[in-house]
Amino acid sequence: MKGPAAVLAQALAERSILVVCGAGGVGKTTAAAALAVQAAVSGRRVLVCTIDPSRRLATSLGLQKLPDRPRRLDLRTAAPGAAGEAWAMTLDTKRTFDALVERHAKSDEARDRILQNRFYQKVSAALAGSHEYMAMEKLLELSADERFDLVVLDTPPTRHALDFLEAPGRLMGFLDTSVLRWFLKPYFVAGRLTLKVATRTGAMAMKLVDKYLGLQFLQDLSEFFLAFEGMYDGFKERAAAVHALLRDPATGFVLVASPARVAVDEALYFHQRLREAEMPFVATIVNRVHGAGGTAPRRGRRAGKGARADVDAALARALLEAHEDLSRLARAEEKVIERLEDQTDEPLLRLPELEGDVHDLRGLVVVADMMFGGAPAANAPRRKAR
Amino acid sequence: MAQKAHAGEGVATAEATTTAMLGWAVLLDDLLARRLLVLSGKGGVGKSLMGTALAVAAQRRGKRVLLVEVDTPPVAEASRFLGASPVGGEERELRPNLLAVNLDPPRVMDDYVRHVVRADFLARRVLDSPIYHRFFAAAPGLPELMVLGKIMTLEDARAGWGRKPRYDLIVLDAPATGHGLSFLKVPQTAVETAPVGPIGANARRVLSLLRDPERTALVVVAVPEEMAVVEALEFHRQATEQVGMSARAVLLNACHERRFSKAQEAEVLRLTAEGASGRLAGGVELEAALAAARHLVRRERMTRFYERRLRRALDLPLVSLPFLFKEEVGPDEVDLLADRLEAA
Repeated sequence: MKGPAAVLAQALAERSILVVCGAGGVGKTTAAAALAVQAAVSGRRVLVCTIDPSRRLATSLGLQKLPDRPRRLDLRTAAPGAAGEAWAMTLDTKRTFDALVERHAKSDEARDRILQNRFYQKVSAALAGSHEYMAMEKLLELSADERFDLVVLDTPPTRHALDFLEAPGRLMGFLDTSVLRWFLKPYFVAGRLTLKVATRTGAMAMKLVDKYLGLQFLQDLSEFFLAFEGMYDGFKERAAAVHALLRDPATGFVLVASPARVAVDEALYFHQRLREAEMPFVATIVNRVHGAGGTAPRRGRRAGKGARADVDAALARALLEAHEDLSRLARAEEKVIERLEDQTDEPLLRLPELEGDVHDLRGLVVVADMMFGGAPAANAPRRKAR
Repeated sequence: MAQKAHAGEGVATAEATTTAMLGWAVLLDDLLARRLLVLSGKGGVGKSLMGTALAVAAQRRGKRVLLVEVDTPPVAEASRFLGASPVGGEERELRPNLLAVNLDPPRVMDDYVRHVVRADFLARRVLDSPIYHRFFAAAPGLPELMVLGKIMTLEDARAGWGRKPRYDLIVLDAPATGHGLSFLKVPQTAVETAPVGPIGANARRVLSLLRDPERTALVVVAVPEEMAVVEALEFHRQATEQVGMSARAVLLNACHERRFSKAQEAEVLRLTAEGASGRLAGGVELEAALAAARHLVRRERMTRFYERRLRRALDLPLVSLPFLFKEEVGPDEVDLLADRLEAA
């Protein structure tokens, strides 16, 4: 093993958290699950955790539905020699949020007030950034779980990888009752309406809210914030712990991209942001590269003894066309990948486009083998389409 | 005359069998006769590209079309597909009668505030206040509702003396599934959370637009791969059951067509098994060409498999669009896809 694969293998062996990030649709979930399988094969007790409104990990692990608590995967068939353990779970945003409220509520009464608030019930899972925030919350909890040496976190399927870093901050800003207190509380003291707010801008904003959002909504909202009062300090503490955890040298970020211009532009931007935020970077994985494996056109070697006579003219034409189409695609992709490689100056692993889909443990083992030099790409899964 | 006969035939078929059996030309006309098309599917399946091709097909039919993306500013893929610089929050004409706009939720919110608070200095004070930013930027669903409200306004917009709609058709490239569904679920949640008052009223109007099959149709986009197809099916189920939208078509992007005859496929396998080596014309290694062929044969089989699976699972017309062997997609490719949409 050499180059980027060695860097990744070392991270799998040494680190305790790997955050797998990238824009939606680049194969993040598959990459995260394959990394976890590889870690388990080489002896670690690893958990892969995904926040997953569409249950994609469940699909890639061949499970219909994953419970929202860690469940051990059966590696006996797919990777009989595995020395460690692989676990998987999906994150239930609403339940994590409930647990957070339970932990930080000052009293049972305060807790019930929040959990029963209509606004909270409707929107806790839909709050902008709550998926991302709860992922971080869960990560904090799992990092202390004795059952696992390594947690691989598959980040939410945001269109922009960046949302994942920024959304928790936005949610914290939203729940920051110290700001909202003076904004809303004077308005609803003991259910009595008063337009006395601290500043003229506040009054202006209030009128706006009243006129365009409506009074009932405002009342629910106000109750929601009043209920959250006093919990913010607890939240802030957790956020600080997450902040430290993400910058810990035992944590690592793996960036996944696909070999298309848009995806690479995003990956570059995301990498820059990680660097600015001083998050420990491990490597980039470029997924689904044409020409990185079995279909790679090998050029420049001298001609052998021609087997041309064996191939009839029509087939030769079709073969050449197939080869040329894939080579053209491979050349175009390579140009974009090189740009990513040069501009990030980080280890970059090319993962070939498979001949088949990856949607079970066996497929993940194949992907892991391709990453870490087990079997050649030609052995990609060739399951019969059922 | 021929066209009329064709249309009549389509109607007769519709009465006899299911919608999936209707002639596609009729169905495409019918689809493009909506006021709003909402495209959705897993991230990376090519929603923007499919939306752009649909918009071009509509524009060719003489319609005035607006392509809407919901995104942060630097992306705006649709404009790039049409060879233009990225569009922003202002509608811009990219081809005659084909306009595009990129609705960045925070900007839509700001515009709304400016619209509501007429006095400029007051609007600025609101927009500059930290409360506005902290609260409105993260307020659950509010940005989504604002964006959907804006789309509703665009659908309502009239132009000229005849009070003709400003746009015949709006094509919405909805955010990726998961988030895409929560995007479309927002109006319902808003109606439930704030049943009375202006926010509820606004959400109800948005909902009635989304649910009106005369005006709005959902277009499911997928690629022939397990996860994309699973997600497309899941999305379709949730959008119809939970949002009450009606889907009218499935676009299957990145399909591989048959390149080799059965006999040639067998020959490829035989040559592979024999470990045949040598060179083809231009010095191309036979081994590499065989590997390329196997890859493409396999992809073609997957295409057929997932086509069948989608057809079985959804009683909807399905159009397969070709995989493009290019890293960069430009106006030529969009036109090609629009041709294929029309000829399907």
